[in-house]
Amino acid sequence: MRPTLPLLLMTVLQGLSGGLMISFGVLWWLVPSALPTLDILLWSAFLIAAIGGVASLFHMHKPKAGRYILRRLRTSWLSREALTTGIYVPALGVLVILPHLVPKIPLEYYGLGIVFTGVLGLVAMYVTAMLYATIPAMRSWHTRLTVIAMMLVGIVSGMAVAEGILAVAHVPGAGGRDFHIALLVGIAVLAGIKWMQYRHFLEARQSLRTATGTGMPAAPYRLIDSGTTKLPYRTQTQVGPELAPRRRQMLYVMMGLTLIVVPMALQIFPLQPAELGIRWTSAAIVMVCGAFVERWLFFADVTHSSRVWFGDELKRASSVSSNRVSPDFVRRFRHQDGL
Amino acid sequence: MQLTIITDLNKCVGCKSCQVSCKEHNTAGAFGTVPDHDPYTEPDGMWWNRIVGMESGEYPNASVLYLPKACMHCYDAPCVPVCPTGASYKREDNGVVLVDYDSCIGCQLCMWACPYGVREFDEHEGVVKKCTMCIDRIEDDTLPDIERQPACVQSCPTHARTFGDLEDPESEVAKLVAQRQGFTLLPELGARPAVHYLPRRQAPVILDESEVLRIMEERY
Repeated sequence: MRPTLPLLLMTVLQGLSGGLMISFGVLWWLVPSALPTLDILLWSAFLIAAIGGVASLFHMHKPKAGRYILRRLRTSWLSREALTTGIYVPALGVLVILPHLVPKIPLEYYGLGIVFTGVLGLVAMYVTAMLYATIPAMRSWHTRLTVIAMMLVGIVSGMAVAEGILAVAHVPGAGGRDFHIALLVGIAVLAGIKWMQYRHFLEARQSLRTATGTGMPAAPYRLIDSGTTKLPYRTQTQVGPELAPRRRQMLYVMMGLTLIVVPMALQIFPLQPAELGIRWTSAAIVMVCGAFVERWLFFADVTHSSRVWFGDELKRASSVSSNRVSPDFVRRFRHQDGL
Repeated sequence: MQLTIITDLNKCVGCKSCQVSCKEHNTAGAFGTVPDHDPYTEPDGMWWNRIVGMESGEYPNASVLYLPKACMHCYDAPCVPVCPTGASYKREDNGVVLVDYDSCIGCQLCMWACPYGVREFDEHEGVVKKCTMCIDRIEDDTLPDIERQPACVQSCPTHARTFGDLEDPESEVAKLVAQRQGFTLLPELGARPAVHYLPRRQAPVILDESEVLRIMEERY
């Protein structure tokens, strides 16, 4: 399937906002004195979440019926997503505005608010990821890896953007060494998870065979027609034209470079303080681009079970057979014939 | 009660009569639900019932399969619990899965959840639509009994499709499924479809006594 722009924006920006919120909480805990400087992170998290929220309205094709969206909280992860994100964004807004309305707010209460909003952000990210992971028909998504990868992309990109924003605000490295190391470890773990997820997508694509959907004998299969003269991609958006192998390869390489390699390289090499700002800002920008490429591929490269009725399948030779003679067999044969 | 349609794959010849009659019935009148905005220049719009034509093997050992594919009205329809607004629902009295267009927000999550790819998105109205098992016909008391069945069943020239209650052991559909080893598609995904197919195999020759006597008379 081809993701629409609102779908991309709402999923990437919600994760990014959650990651920023968590980064703000961690930085506030590590360096409480830097609170006035860190305020910009909170504002960014709120604005990003708000943009994602507006995008989600455009994702609904009939917003008028949106008033019923909480009806199925008991079973629907989309209902739960609307609820959790609907609580998270206003809570974030309150956290942003509160210090301006109540200047002498006790620090411990404010800290409690930060923890509460951070947890809300994490829950919203988890619920959004579960929405995708709990669909058995989406063979590539129906795994725990979906939840881990989606949350990790949000958290790590949020951390990178937090460092980038602080660099733009002329306080690069405000989070200190621990935060920086945590970000590098996060990127490394993300690389491993994305590799596992790539393998899972590949497996999902290869495990769906036309024989599964038709009960027909051996391949090759040729699709005579899928019901009308063109494949129904326009009205059946759960499947889309499959990515050409070369294009898929190129996009995965691009994702690896922008989400993992380039940000890691920009963050890891020894730096002169003067170039710290520009490097970290560049790393943040590249990583956000990487998050968008990752999410586009997440949707575009998915394998839906209905694909079994969509394509041709070639006859394939056995991948394990060989002409090798069994030495054991030869020995027994010679013995029997007295050779 | 679980209403269902059984398709005998031995009898289906891929004529698409069911596909066309579905479209015709559900497009007709002012309240027709299948969009048909530009039927002459754009025949690739929405179809609730699609006949997938598939060919397998290589000449001379080749075979062709026609698979009419519409909503399976699953017992555990995965499209129902994922719907956030409750627009997708399964009726308790007859097991038909329907969509309430007034509460559908067009998020298309049900289309992702359906393993069979039989839900279609109406981009003009912004809602998801699907086979209703012609609920307007089967519940219309004013129609004669013969017409109170889905349009696709009624129009099938080879009588490949049979309509009835799967849970009534005396019904024709229940007997067909039991006697002819009716199967469902993608059972591993756990949706438990109500719609069954009868596998392609050589049908046993059934002769009654008079036929046997006639042949005996002719030959001996």
